[in-house]
Amino acid sequence: MKNGTLVFLALLTTFLACGQNPKEVKANDIPITVSEAYSHEVIVPDLINPWGMAFLPDGSLLVTEKSGELIHFKEGVKTEISGVPEVYNRGQGGLLDIRLSPDYAKDNWIYITYSSTEGDEKGGNTALMRAKLSGNSLTDQEVLYKASPNTTKGQHWGSRIVFDNSGHVYFTVGERGERDVNPQDITRDNGKVYRLNLDGSIPSDNPFVGQANAKEAIWSYGHRNPQGMIINPETQEIWVHEHGPRGGDEINVIKKGANYGWPVITYGINYSGTDITDETKKEGMEQPLYYWVPSIAPSGMTLVTGNKYPELSGNILVGSLKFVYLEALYLANDKVVKREKLLDGIGRVRNVVQGPDGLIYIGVEGVGIVKLIKN
Amino acid sequence: MKTLILIASSILWLFVCNQNKPEKTFSANYISIQQDTLLTASIKRGKVVYEDFCMQCHMATGEGIPGTFPPLAQADFLLENRVKAIKAVKYGLKGEVKVNGAIYTSIMAPLGLYDEEVADVMNYILNSWNNTSSKMVTEKEVAQIEK
Repeated sequence: MKNGTLVFLALLTTFLACGQNPKEVKANDIPITVSEAYSHEVIVPDLINPWGMAFLPDGSLLVTEKSGELIHFKEGVKTEISGVPEVYNRGQGGLLDIRLSPDYAKDNWIYITYSSTEGDEKGGNTALMRAKLSGNSLTDQEVLYKASPNTTKGQHWGSRIVFDNSGHVYFTVGERGERDVNPQDITRDNGKVYRLNLDGSIPSDNPFVGQANAKEAIWSYGHRNPQGMIINPETQEIWVHEHGPRGGDEINVIKKGANYGWPVITYGINYSGTDITDETKKEGMEQPLYYWVPSIAPSGMTLVTGNKYPELSGNILVGSLKFVYLEALYLANDKVVKREKLLDGIGRVRNVVQGPDGLIYIGVEGVGIVKLIKN
Repeated sequence: MKTLILIASSILWLFVCNQNKPEKTFSANYISIQQDTLLTASIKRGKVVYEDFCMQCHMATGEGIPGTFPPLAQADFLLENRVKAIKAVKYGLKGEVKVNGAIYTSIMAPLGLYDEEVADVMNYILNSWNNTSSKMVTEKEVAQIEK
C-alpha cells in the first residue's frame, strides 16, 4: 500500500470516528420514498411564517403569522385583523396556533396560542386565549392560561390546540429551553400537554387536581417541544408529535397523567454530538408510537379523513421544517407501516390541516398556504 | 514511515475531535482576543445566543445541513458580506443565497433579537470554527443597519 493511500485512509477513519455517534442511525427504520402522486396550488400567497390556520363557516380562512399578524383571507383578499394581542416575537415564539370552538356557530369563540410577556419577569411564555371576530377586529379577549415564569429564551413554546367532543380544550407548551428543570416537574409549567374546560376553568377530573403545588391544568408531562397535535374524531385519542434534539423527534399517544420521558429517556443526542442519556426506555415512562432519527423537525399534523384522497384516508400527514417536505405516515393497527415524502422540496412546512371541504391545506414558510392536489 | 503516519493521524484525530467542543473552537484566536476583553465578553454572550437561536439549524460547529441550511464555518457568504450577514441575523433572510458554491432557498424567519444580541452572536460566529474577523461587530453598527 502506498503511503498516500494510508494517509487518506487514516484521515477518513478520523473523520468517520469523530463525526458519527451510533445513535444517529435508526436501526430497522421504515424507509421513506418520494411520491410523485401529488402537486400543489398556492391558495394564499406571500406569507413568511404561516403558523396556524382556521376555516370560518363561510369558507374564508384565518391565518396567523408568527410575527404577530392575524390575516383574514376571503375571496382572494387579505385583511389584517386589528386588536390582536401583542406577541413576544422572539426565536420560535410569536403568534402561534388558531382554532375555532367546536361549537363555533353558536358561541363564536376563536382559540389562539401565542407568546405573551404578561407577568412580572422579563421575557415571555406561552398563553392560550379565546376571543371573537367582530368585523375586522378581535374582541372579547379572555386569557384562559398563561404559562410562567417568563424567560428571554427563544426556544420551545409549542404550541397546538385541539378540542374533544366533551367540552375540553387541549394545548401544548414546550419546555422553554429548560430541560433539566421543567418537563419532569408537575409543579412547574412547560414541557406539558394541558387540558381545560372551554371557559378556561380546570376540569375536576384532570390527573393532578388536588396534588400539592401541582399545576392542575396539566394533562401529560415529560414533553420537549410539541408543535403538532390531532384528535381522532372517532376514538377521541389524542396524538402529539414533538421535536427531539439532534434525532429523537417523536409521535406520542397522549394518556391522562402520563410521563413522556424528556429528558430522562430520549432517542436523540445533544447538538454537539455528545450523549444526553444512555436510556431510551424506562418504567413509568411512555414509548413513542414512532420516532425519527435523524430529526425531520416536525410541525403541524393532521389525520386525513373522508374520500378526497382515498389512499391517504385514515393516515396522518406531518410537516418537515428541516427537510422541506410533507410526510405521509401510513398506519395499520396504530403502527407506522409506510412513509412517503409528498411535495418534496416545497419549503419549510409549518402547518397542515384538513379543511371543511375535505381538502388538505399546508402552511409553508416563505410560500403561503397551498392546497394538496392529487395528480 | 508508517509509524510516523500513525502518530501524525493520532495528533490529527485529537485535533479534529476537539472541533466538536464549541468552547474550544475560538482557541486559535485566543491570544489576540485576550487583549480585547470587550470582544471576549461579546463572544461569550454570543455563544449563549447561538445555542438558543441558531444551533438547531446551523448545528453546533456551524456546519449547517447540506442542501437545507447553509454552513457558517468557513462560509464565503458570511465572511465576505458583513452587512448582509448582520442584516440576515437582524431581520431574517428570504430568497436564494449562494454559500461556498451551493444554492440555499429555505427562508430564515426574523429571530427577534436585540441589537446587542445580534452583535454578540455575530462576534461569536465570526470568531469560531476557524472563522476570523479583524473588526468587532458593535451594537451601534447593528443599529445603523436598515432593512
